[in-house]
Amino acid sequence: MLIKSINAVLAVVAGVGGALVLFWVLNRLVGLLPGKWEDRLKPYVYIGPAFLAISLYLIYPAIQTIHFSFANADSTAYVGLDNYTSLLGSAGFRSTLVNTLLWIVIVPAVTILLGLGIAVLADRLRPRAEKLAKTAVFMPMAISAVGAGTIWRFVYAANPPGEPQIGVQNAIVTALGFDPVNWLQITDFKFNSFELMVMLLWAQVGFSMVLLSAAIKGVPADTLEAARIDGANERQIFLKVIVPQIRGTIITVFVTVTIGVMKLFDIVYVMTNGDFDTNVIGVQFFNELFTNFDNGKAAAIVVMLMIAIIPIMIYQVRHFRTEEAGR
Amino acid sequence: MRRTKFFTTLMPITAVALLATGCLNDAGSTQSGGAGNGNTGNTVEIMTGMGGDLFNAVKASLDPYAKEQGITIKWSPSDNFNQLIVTRVQGNNLPDIALFPQPGIMKDLAAKGKLAPLDDVLDMNALKSSMTPGTLEAGTQDGKLYGLMMSMNVKSLVFYPKQAFESAGYQAPKSIPELLSLTDKIRSEGKTPWCLGIESGPATGWPATDWMEELVLKYGGPAKYDDWVAHKINFDSPLVRQAAGTFEKIAFTEGNVLGGRKSISSNNFGTAGNPMFRNPPGCFMFKQGNFVAAKGIFPDDVVADIDNRVGVFGFPPATAGGENPVEGGGDLAGLFSKDNAAAKKLLQYMSTKDFGAAGAKTGAWMSPHKDFDLANYPTNTIRDIAKIAYGSTSLAFDGSDAMPGAVGSGSFWKGMTGWISGQQSLDQALKTIDDSWPAS
Repeated sequence: MLIKSINAVLAVVAGVGGALVLFWVLNRLVGLLPGKWEDRLKPYVYIGPAFLAISLYLIYPAIQTIHFSFANADSTAYVGLDNYTSLLGSAGFRSTLVNTLLWIVIVPAVTILLGLGIAVLADRLRPRAEKLAKTAVFMPMAISAVGAGTIWRFVYAANPPGEPQIGVQNAIVTALGFDPVNWLQITDFKFNSFELMVMLLWAQVGFSMVLLSAAIKGVPADTLEAARIDGANERQIFLKVIVPQIRGTIITVFVTVTIGVMKLFDIVYVMTNGDFDTNVIGVQFFNELFTNFDNGKAAAIVVMLMIAIIPIMIYQVRHFRTEEAGR
Repeated sequence: MRRTKFFTTLMPITAVALLATGCLNDAGSTQSGGAGNGNTGNTVEIMTGMGGDLFNAVKASLDPYAKEQGITIKWSPSDNFNQLIVTRVQGNNLPDIALFPQPGIMKDLAAKGKLAPLDDVLDMNALKSSMTPGTLEAGTQDGKLYGLMMSMNVKSLVFYPKQAFESAGYQAPKSIPELLSLTDKIRSEGKTPWCLGIESGPATGWPATDWMEELVLKYGGPAKYDDWVAHKINFDSPLVRQAAGTFEKIAFTEGNVLGGRKSISSNNFGTAGNPMFRNPPGCFMFKQGNFVAAKGIFPDDVVADIDNRVGVFGFPPATAGGENPVEGGGDLAGLFSKDNAAAKKLLQYMSTKDFGAAGAKTGAWMSPHKDFDLANYPTNTIRDIAKIAYGSTSLAFDGSDAMPGAVGSGSFWKGMTGWISGQQSLDQALKTIDDSWPAS
């Protein structure tokens, strides 16, 4: 234990100190150059290490992944587009894509709506009640997805009829005189996928609420007053005065949640591991890599995911730039 | 301006790309180093994947002997044995003895010449007459013994609530048809014959693969079972379909399983059996490995009075009195250096039929020796379980453990779960499993 703590301290000191020393040395070296060259090179000296680190830890693996997606399971021979065609040709993977799409369409939008609704309503409470309400909504954010999985397993747990029901929902259902329901196995209308989405919403709405609430509080009171004087009703004020002014925050939350949902893994893994037609591509990727040991297919999944995320990232960056320009 | 910006962005990326591409991994670069670490001292490192009560039981059996002989044992238990042993062998950082939980990796290492053959270390004639059939074969590669089974577990077991089962006049079936007619009889009396559960978190489905293995083993015998595990017999084959048909009769017939077919995938693999200890019992039979008959799975009051409350019979053979292989497992001890006198001494001790009296008393360990003194086991239940294995015609290891991971802990689990819970037909499931077998 002691040795481990010492190691940790050493790592922090050596890491941070090492970086400082590196920059200091580089700075001094550039300082030795004649004036004009010093000014020319200095920015690169400062950005260089960061750029190298990003190349090493981000760009290089990304390119290697694309490269491996055209190779076989243990990356020893090229197989062309086989990984892509066999994935897209399997009914299981297509259903996985449909599920993922469903998550992308539903979860970010509902997260925004609920977060916005809670933020607006909480804003009207007394300060103490507001704090309490927001804390309660925010609390699930602090719980890890695996912990959330454990909690929600108890919500959806099902035992055979006649046995004591330890699941909340089945306790209610059986108390009302019905037979217990195997919640996670209801595949009609993708109902079980929706049950899993509820978990992510439960965990994410607090995040969206906090950001949106801060944005709403940042809306200048005089704009609201002016609208009221002009005779606008509350709904008009909300839709036409508040929402346009917090549009930036809404988009940021939307994009963050969307990217999070595309990478979704933990909740589905813990609850069903993709059984009962609830699979999403994050779980499929994990299973290709760590169950099937198929580097090729796993890489192909990541490449497809990357291609899907890039437009969203570009949109986000563009939006950020226009925001900056508008300031 | 636009152009330069484009190029300055592109250039580093192409540079990295050039570095990254053009180099796939080498296929199968296995280097063969010297076998064994040449340890001749009196400290013996034993690597094992065992944990908990089983590990303590083995320690209790082996440590006193080592002490007597002046040998120090350095135990290296690991949850992650399979990966770790491969890494250590690659790095030539060898333990002296490894206790392999499955034969697969042990046989790999033996074939690569990393393990020392045990034929001239151990008394083979004594072993041949005392070991449970099949257990020596499990440790044999190319005609030589490399892995000595030194603990045993049994999977082909059906537990039942003793008093209720006996007072209803039911008898342990002698064949699969008898098992099916017993099932029908219990159902026709308005009771539920089976408890069945395959839920195991992200590993959901494995108990169903045990059922299939059991039935394939019973119907096909050990040779065809091995062919199936090696994919020389497909999943989509008459043998597997026969097994699936029997499973279907037991599991999917209305009224056969507590909670019905839909509840199988949500019932936990271990606690699914517990309703049979209620009064009146929720079910009368529960198939699972010997590990469930312990604290933490069966209810505490049942475990405390296990001999009066729990009965167990071996899953019956295809025909009464016919060949009766049993599914089970155990840990196989492998030796890394033939010159390691202390390690050899420990292995010789482990191979004797009396080894393990201390461990057996804990109730967590069973001996693979048929002539092991049954009085060492603490309960009749464990004695009955051990007798089922000792009386078998052959002990076969878990087949899905020996299949490639993509099947054995991937598509086989998922296919069975999908079939049982109704998302897939049997045809689809069998075909998907066959298709997922890695090409090699």
